[in-house]
Amino acid sequence: MSADTAAIPAGVVIENLRKSYGDNEVLKGISVTVDPGEVVCLIGASGSGKSTLLRCVNRLEDPNSGRIRVGEFEVTHPDVNLDAMRRKIGMVFQQFNLFPHLSVLENCTITPRRVLNQDRAEAETEALHQLQLVGLEDLADRRPAQLSGGQQQRVAIARALTMKPSLMLFDEPTSALDPETVGDVLAIMRDLAQAGMTMIVVTHEMGFAREVADRVVFMDQGKVVEEGAAEQVIGAPTAPRTQDFLRRVLNPLGE
Amino acid sequence: MALSNRDRARLSLGLQAGIFIAVVAVLIAIIDWGAVQSSFFDLENISGMFPEVITVGLWNTIRYTFFGFLFGLIGGTLLALMRIASFPVYRWVAAVYIEFFRGIPAILVFIALGFGASLAFNLNLSTLQTASTALAIVGSAYIAETIRAGLQAVPKGQMEAARALGMPAWRAMVTIQIPQAFRIVLPPLTNEAILLTKDSSLIFVVGMAGSAAELTKIGRDGILQYGAGMTPLVVAGVCYLLITVPLSMLARRMEERSPGKSSRRRPKKKATESPVTAGVK
Ligand SMILES: Nc1ncnc2c1ncn2[C@@H]1O[C@H](COP(=O)(O)OP(=O)(O)OP(=O)(O)O)[C@@H](O)[C@H]1O
Ligand SMILES: [Mg+2]
Repeated sequence: MSADTAAIPAGVVIENLRKSYGDNEVLKGISVTVDPGEVVCLIGASGSGKSTLLRCVNRLEDPNSGRIRVGEFEVTHPDVNLDAMRRKIGMVFQQFNLFPHLSVLENCTITPRRVLNQDRAEAETEALHQLQLVGLEDLADRRPAQLSGGQQQRVAIARALTMKPSLMLFDEPTSALDPETVGDVLAIMRDLAQAGMTMIVVTHEMGFAREVADRVVFMDQGKVVEEGAAEQVIGAPTAPRTQDFLRRVLNPLGE
Repeated sequence: MALSNRDRARLSLGLQAGIFIAVVAVLIAIIDWGAVQSSFFDLENISGMFPEVITVGLWNTIRYTFFGFLFGLIGGTLLALMRIASFPVYRWVAAVYIEFFRGIPAILVFIALGFGASLAFNLNLSTLQTASTALAIVGSAYIAETIRAGLQAVPKGQMEAARALGMPAWRAMVTIQIPQAFRIVLPPLTNEAILLTKDSSLIFVVGMAGSAAELTKIGRDGILQYGAGMTPLVVAGVCYLLITVPLSMLARRMEERSPGKSSRRRPKKKATESPVTAGVK
């Protein structure tokens, strides 16, 4: 399989990002850079702020201060065209969030048609192409509820790709899946990475991070504690908190 | 000595049946069935009410309710959107409207509209206009709360996914959230239609011409026409049931197969993998 990404991959610059919910400061000055075409995996304990960081990148959350740039878009600028910017940033959620009242095909055509004003034939051709790349064009007429979790997540990826994004954000895309379907989704993400997509992936799949990620960023309590090549951060972490976290993830029973 | 569970169940059933038979026997003994029949089920009265009770009464009840419900639905949807709007004045206005009209008896609205519209606004409303406007005013308050609950029952992730794809807020509302909310609120909305059907009878306080008479008016006129018997009311009541019982069955069926019930759970039977999937691995 070769995923073609018609859009030019975008780079991401995050500078000193801070975000609080009330008195609870969740992001305490995060700075991360992602080069165009690079794949960065975000790892860290529950509650460390990974999702919040990811959701700031497409402004599902508004940061309190700091700066984010995605390709040509000044994401944190008050005058940024949020909708135009989001069309260039695909997002895949842990719970898939497919539209249950629409067929698989309609899930993939609704935004190109209603937002990009593509005509039906054009949108369907592209949607079927994307569905074929995730191996699901035969299920185009089904409702999401008739699909397994893994199939739903693959549709969600295809849906995001129909918008020809320059950056893909994944928030624990395989955490809600049955173990036997995790591999299909990870394989598609790997292919997408090899096709040159810029990706930020929150995941607990250390095997995927090792194989696919160019870099791994370890977050703890709203801060970046360690970052570097996957082999280094996962294979030979230097910070004690990274070592502790990886020990618990790789060996949950502590034996 | 302890009874087994099965013995206890049998005893309970027997006891219930015994009480039932005793009550029926007492009723048969003490009630004058001839009098009951002549005052509630007089066959001559019944046949005398046809076909007007259907062609005029039932037809008008359906018309008044239909338009009342339709405008109530439009008004209720607007109120529900106001209720969750970010502009606070909208929220307050909607909240006051809803509390007010849910809090007062519907009959006050019928009286105010029936006698007040011509005085205050110099409007001469037809019976159809009065009845359906009054029903819409009252119904929209109830419908607004139903729809607001439905909108909020759509999982947050739906709106987020739509916005993340680049849909503007109104577009996500129209194509993603509202269609899903409507599916959720269809059963309660059907119950709302049942309540409005019954409330349409309140138009009788305003009075109306014979051709505009709905079921309750037809029933009351029948009583005056045929003397003291209540048979016309029974006929009118049965006609209401012709509307409300199918609606209530419809609501129950929709509840049983409502999307929220099954779609949250994982599908038991996995959809068959397409042959292409094998190539992905
Ligand atoms: N909408 C919100 N309102 C208030 N607090 C929030 C909100 N969203 C997240 N938080 C808090 O922010 C902190 C970080 O949450 P976040 O979801 O970013 O963590 P995470 O690293 O993604 O964790 P997980 O691995 O469990 O998904 C948590 O303490 C959480 O309680
Ligand atoms: Mg998270």
